[in-house]
Amino acid sequence: MLLNPANRDPAARGRLIGALATLVILWPLFQAAEVKPGALFDSGNLKVIGNFLAAFLPPETGAEFLGYLAKATLETLAIATAGMALAFLIAVPMAYLATGAGREKPTLNPITRSLLTILRGIPELVWALVFVRVFGLGPAAGVLALGLTYGGMLAKVYAEILESVDAAPARALRHSGASRLLAILYGLIPQASKELASYTVYRWECAIRASVVMGFVGAGGLGQLMDQAMKMLNGGEAATILLTFMGLVFSADGLSGWLRRALDTPPANHASPFGWRSIGLLVTLFASIVASFQLLDIGFGELFSAEAAHSIGEFIAGFFPPDLSAEWLAKVAKGIWETLAISVVGTLLAAIAGLLLALPKWRAPFSFILNSLRSVPELVWATITALAVGLGPFAGALALALHTAGVLGRLYAEALDNAPPTPGKALRLAGAPGGFAFLYGTLPGAAPQLIAYTLYRWEMNIRMAAILGFVGAGGLGQLLYFELSLFHHAQASTVIMAMLLLSIAVDQASAWLRQRMR
Amino acid sequence: MSFRLNGVGLTHANGFAALKGITLLAEKGERIALIGPSGAGKTSLLSVLGTALEPTDGLAEVFEFDQNFWDTSAIKALRARIGTVHQSPPIPGRQRVVTAVLAGKLGQWPAWKSLASLVYPLDIPGARAALERVDLADKLFARCDELSGGQLQRVGIARVLYQQPELILADEPVSALDPALALATIRLLTADAEACGATLVASLHAVDLALGNFPRIVGVKAGRIAFDLPSERVTVPMLHELYASEGEQLPIQAHEPHFLSQAPANDAATRAKCC
Ligand SMILES: Nc1ncnc2c1ncn2[C@@H]1O[C@H](COP(=O)(O)OP(=O)(O)O)[C@@H](O)[C@H]1O
Ligand SMILES: [Mg+2]
Repeated sequence: MLLNPANRDPAARGRLIGALATLVILWPLFQAAEVKPGALFDSGNLKVIGNFLAAFLPPETGAEFLGYLAKATLETLAIATAGMALAFLIAVPMAYLATGAGREKPTLNPITRSLLTILRGIPELVWALVFVRVFGLGPAAGVLALGLTYGGMLAKVYAEILESVDAAPARALRHSGASRLLAILYGLIPQASKELASYTVYRWECAIRASVVMGFVGAGGLGQLMDQAMKMLNGGEAATILLTFMGLVFSADGLSGWLRRALDTPPANHASPFGWRSIGLLVTLFASIVASFQLLDIGFGELFSAEAAHSIGEFIAGFFPPDLSAEWLAKVAKGIWETLAISVVGTLLAAIAGLLLALPKWRAPFSFILNSLRSVPELVWATITALAVGLGPFAGALALALHTAGVLGRLYAEALDNAPPTPGKALRLAGAPGGFAFLYGTLPGAAPQLIAYTLYRWEMNIRMAAILGFVGAGGLGQLLYFELSLFHHAQASTVIMAMLLLSIAVDQASAWLRQRMR
Repeated sequence: MSFRLNGVGLTHANGFAALKGITLLAEKGERIALIGPSGAGKTSLLSVLGTALEPTDGLAEVFEFDQNFWDTSAIKALRARIGTVHQSPPIPGRQRVVTAVLAGKLGQWPAWKSLASLVYPLDIPGARAALERVDLADKLFARCDELSGGQLQRVGIARVLYQQPELILADEPVSALDPALALATIRLLTADAEACGATLVASLHAVDLALGNFPRIVGVKAGRIAFDLPSERVTVPMLHELYASEGEQLPIQAHEPHFLSQAPANDAATRAKCC
């Protein structure tokens, strides 16, 4: 049967080559990530993690500690809110400059685009680490770091959303003489407003998670408390802090879901575009931004004084020229490879676990697990996995996998729910067992979504993998952390550039893969 | 006997009675067209026959199974013997035609074969033969989202042919196709059902297609059977009565109604390739 060439599958060769190529690439990556499942069951490690987890119970509830906790929680919320406000201020003009929307010719502004890439490409924790050196320990560094990275992300997505809506209304306005700004405001914003608002709310939710971990580099908030608890192996405190994380993330989720649903309700029928609810929201928003800055007590006067400018200038000058000696470059190259390995292995493990947890048949009991996995940031997971398997890249990959499995599992479940149900149902009616009806009928319909989510997550994970080293999980982060602690700025700047290049390269690779797998 | 419905009623979850006292018996190899205004209950009737919905009243028997098979493992064995052609083909766009056709036998294959076929299609000659009958053999390795609506519908039919069911159900299989293609597709279905000795029950929106291609016509109205006659005994007044709720015009496919029965396309080659 296989001998007749007409009855051979012409795609088989390509598939085989693809599978082999994947193996050839993945094998050394798994090696580099030092994947050794055995370490999970190593008796020494088991004892350490076992003792630590045993100390989780009972969670610490002393009044003094709870006082610290409350303060740190407020600080985290304030860092997120103030950081988002700053990000928004940065994003709006940048998006206006960067987007091709509303232009006569859809030219893109290359300078703003590359500036945005730099802002986004360097992880917020690296910015925070750098700012802590300039402005000293405290939340100011966290706010600025969030503002810059999230400003870059918001600007890029705003620009893309404006480009993706129907351009005809704006073009018509411009032809009748309106300025570009007005053409965008009247021609594009009305179509894009819902998506813009929805994405902003979603980002705010992410900012809360991000601000939690700012503390790991000394920028205040819950992360700092967690860092201390972990360093002292104080399981009771760690447990309480973890529970607080989860509470915070769950409520942010709920609030953001409610806000995004509210965007779906059609506007009331009156002249003013604002109802009492929108006005209430705006007032609350404004008040919380003001309160956040008050609470954090950031002296912007000092930040922007001549003295500060001088010290920033000096500090930045220290980063140039970067150390490009062959010896250092070799070390950085190893760090790049290790970081790539952590991101790939972590994402792959997460994709497998996420898919299993998202299967319709099993989902119900596991949605709580998915949410818990997701609510603990990667960096916090890394402090725990480092106890479980020892310091090194495997701890980083596991930490990425744990958090990402929660994220992807939820997204996968959503995609599977939204996949067209009829193909699977039709196969079941033709007698196919449920599992095969899923594989042949439902999965192909959801696959583009699943692949896109996974690759997008990989883009985020490469940035995350780059900083997991801050807590000893290998890769570029570990190099950067050492060099910055030793004030080796020239070496540190090479590492930061490597992070930037790596994240750009991964973005390209992911875009290419998405294109290929469509 | 292929199936027997005895006083079957179907009440939907919202309390709406879509079928009332349906009694219908079909011998093996019969070709039956269901006609009637929209909302009459044609889809509901086909769903009961296809074991998609359990009747709330009366007795439904398909082959040697009666409705007590529900919720047992026997239902999979029964379903593997029923093939359904859907109004819009339920095939994922990213799937290749060959895989979509092979999926017809998932109910009969052992698990290893179904799994392996995801990696490498195990019965390429079989899929090709089924596609040849719908004139699509050249699309064997194409992706389904590269096909036109009519081609995709024929892939759906090829899957059912490949499944080799003993009972073929078709719910308005051609209402999304243009008239010429619709006629060709219906002829193909009837010819293949006849060649394989399978029972065919199809609901059709166009009266002329039904009368021209099916020996037996069942008129359905408001959840009941209005008439059940050989096609040559169905009269125009009967049809007007059946479609009274939809106005003066009878729903037809061609622009000029011709209710003369046509010999179904049924050449020796089709018969030879079958089963
Ligand atoms: N799932 C359902 N729930 C409630 N009512 C339904 C459902 N499906 C169909 N019906 C109703 O049953 C009647 C018959 O529907 P159907 O069998 O689809 O008719 P036909 O296929 O002849 O157009 C219609 O009035 C329809 O509104
Ligand atoms: Mg119908």
